Amino acid sequence: METTLGYQKYNLPDIEILNHPGDKFFHVWQPDKTYIVLGQSNKTESSVNIDAAQVDGISILKRPSGGESVILTPKNIVVAFLSNQEDYKKPLDFFKNSNQKIMRALEKWPGVKGLHQRGISDLSVDNIKIAGSAIYRSKNYLFYHCVINVAEEVSLIERYLKHPKREPDYRKGRKHSEFVTNLQNLGYQIDIPQLITHFETEFWD
Amino acid sequence: MRHIFKFPDIGEGLDEGTILEWYVKKGQSVEAGESLVKMETDKVVTDIPSPRDGVIAARYGSEGETINVGDPLVEIEMEGVEGEAAQEESKKIDEGEASKMETVEEEAAGVVGTLESAGNNAFLPASDEGVSVAETNEKPSQKKAIATPVARALAKELNVDINEVKGTGPGARVMKEDIQKYADSGSTNASNQGRRMLDEGPRVRIEPMSQMRKTIAKNMLRSKHNAAHMSVFDEVEASELIAIRSRFKDKFKADDIKLSYLPFIIKATAKALKKHPVLNSEMDMENGKMIYKNYVNIGIAVDTDDGLLVPVIQDADRLSIRELAVKINEIAEKARKREISMEDMKDGTFTITSFGSIGGKFAVPVINYPQAGILGIGRMAKQPVVKNDAVVPGNMLPLSMSVDHRIVDGGEVTRFLNQIMEYLGDPINLIMD
Repeated sequence: METTLGYQKYNLPDIEILNHPGDKFFHVWQPDKTYIVLGQSNKTESSVNIDAAQVDGISILKRPSGGESVILTPKNIVVAFLSNQEDYKKPLDFFKNSNQKIMRALEKWPGVKGLHQRGISDLSVDNIKIAGSAIYRSKNYLFYHCVINVAEEVSLIERYLKHPKREPDYRKGRKHSEFVTNLQNLGYQIDIPQLITHFETEFWD
Repeated sequence: MRHIFKFPDIGEGLDEGTILEWYVKKGQSVEAGESLVKMETDKVVTDIPSPRDGVIAARYGSEGETINVGDPLVEIEMEGVEGEAAQEESKKIDEGEASKMETVEEEAAGVVGTLESAGNNAFLPASDEGVSVAETNEKPSQKKAIATPVARALAKELNVDINEVKGTGPGARVMKEDIQKYADSGSTNASNQGRRMLDEGPRVRIEPMSQMRKTIAKNMLRSKHNAAHMSVFDEVEASELIAIRSRFKDKFKADDIKLSYLPFIIKATAKALKKHPVLNSEMDMENGKMIYKNYVNIGIAVDTDDGLLVPVIQDADRLSIRELAVKINEIAEKARKREISMEDMKDGTFTITSFGSIGGKFAVPVINYPQAGILGIGRMAKQPVVKNDAVVPGNMLPLSMSVDHRIVDGGEVTRFLNQIMEYLGDPINLIMD
């Protein structure tokens, strides 16, 4: 019998910049534990391997933004940006601008090479994804958040998430294990607190 | 005056979105800028604000429904905008058509990008004050008629050009009765046809496309637009194959396994793919790379009541004829129960379509993009063939192959097909080779 597993409203630190606009225009943070985060239109049953999530006691949250479900863990970092509506003609430009900020920062340190924006909003090295992002547009603001896989093993994604219903063209039906990697697997040894400090410095400039 | 507000392009260049949540109900007052509905496109969730003050007169689409850019979202009854003011509003919109962006950003209160504004014909003046009927009728061919939805539907059904019809409703609006009268008057050739249609029922039936049909359409177009299709055809004399299958058919049946020719064809194709890896590859144009797959996953095109599905047999090259037969039986069972899932259809490296079971001989199959090729199997037929200088009866199996000519050239395709024919012509090679 199919079980319905509930979810909570997304209440993680990055959403604060949308809830309290004017305080900060970006936020970078490291998850304190593992979360499964559903996209706004995702359903738990079709996106999550419920049995595994239940056995492991993983919290499931639903974020306000679009896209497919993701896993957040202490081996990821999350970057969020907030902008006024009038600053961007198109959400795609906000994606592009935000992703470029992150790519430039990663290229500076730890010197990641071959970074591209692929699909609508992914960051990839060649055609392997290392980060995914999504946008929520409220009446006055554009809110962007991105999860970067610094060192989490992709087997964890396989464990908790089903194959997404929608996928970017470049994924070509590949399994999570063939489509996603982390920066550590690509040879970049990164201290996460140091990366957060680096991002904060970069984004303030 | 009523404003039909359509789902705008929110600037992603995508042509559809899903309704996540309605914030308004029919009869509810809204102000310009107030959120009407929460929509999701591929990655963006956005609140769509009302472009006008007014009362929601109609709401289109339910939560979870996917709609296209340009489809109506709501109709807003704009109180107090009548007569000359309505004309002014209509005029404003007409002017806006020429420079959509500027007008829209100002009017749509927060919607960025190009906004699909309602055109002149979407505005229905609420009264005829300030609207000269004579003036409206002077140049009927230059203006789009103002008409009720019922009248438009009837005009369509009766094949009447609504712009030719003189409206008798408020503000010269064309009413249902006007259309009927126009058709009955025999003013056009269409009227007789219209009467015939009324007698016989409508000549067309319009239904929304299923999600599967949309997906098939999208995939087929993607293939035709991106791959350089090229096809070759041949026939193989398959008497040996028939003999071997006959020998093992009953044995398999004892284990409740149905043995068709397909497991042999899959095995032959999988082995040929190992010898000709370019047919088991795909092209990554963007990065200037070829991706050669070291595994062979064969997709089998299955004709179901819902449409074409392509479940995949993973690592087909490593399976025996018996194991392949079992897999095919499983696929057939799943298809019968409508249980084929996305998981069953992913990661194919080459596709086989066996249309011969229905009756065709040759076809030009469409490549399951981004794969390099697809093999079509036609209906086997008894034909005279020449063997040892004598004309004898033969069993000819037609093969149709389409490939992406960007990836593979004619010579290699022919060698690949020859290899398959060698296996099928003398199936002992399937185990000896």
